[in-house]
Amino acid sequence: MAYNELVKNFKRIRDYMREFYVYGFKSRDEFIQKSTRSYDDERRRLESWLGDYMQFRQTPEGKNIFLSIDSRLTKHNPLFKAWKTKSFTDGDITLHFVLLDILSDPNIRMTTGEITERIDEYLSQFTEPRMFDESTVRKKLKEYVSQGILISEKKGKVLYYRRAENIPLPDKDMLDYFSEVLPCGVIGSFLLDKMEQSSSHFAFKHHYITGTMDTEILYSVFLAIREKRGMTLEIINRYNHRITENYVIPIKVMISVQSGRQYLMAYTPRFNRITPYRTDNIISAKLDTISERFDELQSTFEKMLPNMWGVSTEGRTGARIEHVEFTVHYADDEKHIRNRLEREKRCGIVEHLDHNTSRFSADVFDASEVIPWIRTFICRITEVHFSNKELEEQFKNDINDMYALYGIGGDE
Amino acid sequence: MIFSELYGAYYNTVAAILAEAVTHPVSEKNIGNIIKKYAFSESIWAISDAIKEERWQIVKADGTTPITNKPSMPLTILQKRWLKAIGCDPRLKLFGTFDFDYPDVEPLFLPTDYIIFDKYADGDDYTDERYISNFRLILDAVRNQYPLKIETLNRKGMQISQVVLPEYLEYSEKDDKFRLIGAGNRFESTINLGRIISCKRYEKSLEITQGKCNSARSCYVVFELKDERKALERVLLHFAHFKKVAKRIEENRYSITIYYDREDETEILIRILSFGPLIKVTAPVHFIELMKQRLLEQKKL
Repeated sequence: MAYNELVKNFKRIRDYMREFYVYGFKSRDEFIQKSTRSYDDERRRLESWLGDYMQFRQTPEGKNIFLSIDSRLTKHNPLFKAWKTKSFTDGDITLHFVLLDILSDPNIRMTTGEITERIDEYLSQFTEPRMFDESTVRKKLKEYVSQGILISEKKGKVLYYRRAENIPLPDKDMLDYFSEVLPCGVIGSFLLDKMEQSSSHFAFKHHYITGTMDTEILYSVFLAIREKRGMTLEIINRYNHRITENYVIPIKVMISVQSGRQYLMAYTPRFNRITPYRTDNIISAKLDTISERFDELQSTFEKMLPNMWGVSTEGRTGARIEHVEFTVHYADDEKHIRNRLEREKRCGIVEHLDHNTSRFSADVFDASEVIPWIRTFICRITEVHFSNKELEEQFKNDINDMYALYGIGGDE
Repeated sequence: MIFSELYGAYYNTVAAILAEAVTHPVSEKNIGNIIKKYAFSESIWAISDAIKEERWQIVKADGTTPITNKPSMPLTILQKRWLKAIGCDPRLKLFGTFDFDYPDVEPLFLPTDYIIFDKYADGDDYTDERYISNFRLILDAVRNQYPLKIETLNRKGMQISQVVLPEYLEYSEKDDKFRLIGAGNRFESTINLGRIISCKRYEKSLEITQGKCNSARSCYVVFELKDERKALERVLLHFAHFKKVAKRIEENRYSITIYYDREDETEILIRILSFGPLIKVTAPVHFIELMKQRLLEQKKL
């Protein structure tokens, strides 16, 4: 098939974007599990959509291609562009503009037959006019009713179609902001496309755009949560490339603004547990029937939150709850350390032992999740204790390994 | 469906072409310029050819169109549901009063459907009336480019007054705070909105000194990592929002370069520390020294 800049299915492009944006060190040869033709096509597409951000580097293994984006400088998420590349047929686009012109006002009501005749009149102006039969037109009308663009009304036995009411577009600044910070922000970007292009008055720091690729999954999750439905998820294990299918009852979406990861917290009947599923590992999500257990699981989860540091609902040892505590010492002019502890403590408790010493403690499902944060206090940690002794040892060994990495010897 | 041609760049481009064609015949050059503005770098051939060959029967060979109205599409259910979700967000008040009460749809999600579990607890108070009015005035000043006289409390609790020409607002999802970035005449032109005591339009003329320029303050750090304990994925995801270059230097060993703003050096330092021995800073020398200094101090405790 001839190359087309647009794509029918987002799935493949989602994988490539992830590779080019998050990783960006693989050469063409390493994409062998996909075909080389496919690699060349997807690379060409991404270059066309996101050329300003594509970079190349020659390595002994071949040419590496990667997306380099400083999201603090780009006021609009460039990855949204990928969601605006769905392919369509010549008939689709012709019908779209002609239909919406025929039904240009919400007061115009017409039947499928009348609309089909009007379409013929429009197209008769071309040298070789296309012909759309009534069933094709009806199918398109139905599709647009389901999207909310058109409204169908029955009068007696006759079905009429009209355009939905025009709603004024909201404030551009508001859309510029929320399209970057709210889940499924690409929808805000679709709205911005309807407005005159102008630069945004907002910039974003610590702004993760990695989740953009998972928008359709997140959208399905929200639909399921709102309707209290179960879901069937296809999940990929990135290490062995195995794909499994799980029926789950969705509970909550958990978003990290310190790693950009998004998780679905869901009850999995097969494991009889509430577990996190990373949205970037969910290949597909299909809505199932309404679950009678939805409300009960929501309240179970609420009770778990005070013991969750991140998304983990179980530790490595199998113990129900693990205790972690550490003490930090800081100078008189380092009171910001106190503030840091207070604002970053999440479900933990901070006690100020004296003017220069504070202690953090928490009872959590998985104390290993707290370790990266504890390490940010390196140079001030005077004590650290884990109820999970294996973890405590690992923590101390890691610090020793860091000393070794930087040549900091025994008695230095 | 989110992935739909209805929201696609091609439909938007064709709508823009038709918006002109309904008033006057569009030339090939006109069409080309519109495609460059609204579509992608390779779209020029695909769209021009489809129109020229009348595969898309919307613009005729002479540049006129049977379409009679400027194209428009009502909001879809998807768009209304998302807007209704904004309607439930407390930050909406910062932008004014909006009515997203569309009776035919439910919000796509509620604030209770998701948790941002690692944002800092001392974020700005978006329900505070003074904060809201300051925000609105600042945003208006950004839009219309007039100076503001702003009084703030600094970290030591001292009151500071400064005049600033606002450039833009910067929001951090991690801090959950807004900062005003602007050009001032004396002080640094970055102001936390949460620290503002008063904010008024400045009526006199303002002599502007240097504004903030991120590129001029760019620094870099290089570190190596061994892909153990999923380190590669964790590190690359964690630093994904920076401009970066990742290289494989040998089997299972990688070198990553991150470019950051100089004012964020301490933050970058502790973020690197959080990965423990999984990553080792290899350049520049002053950054290696910063790492060593922290570790030496830790060793003394």
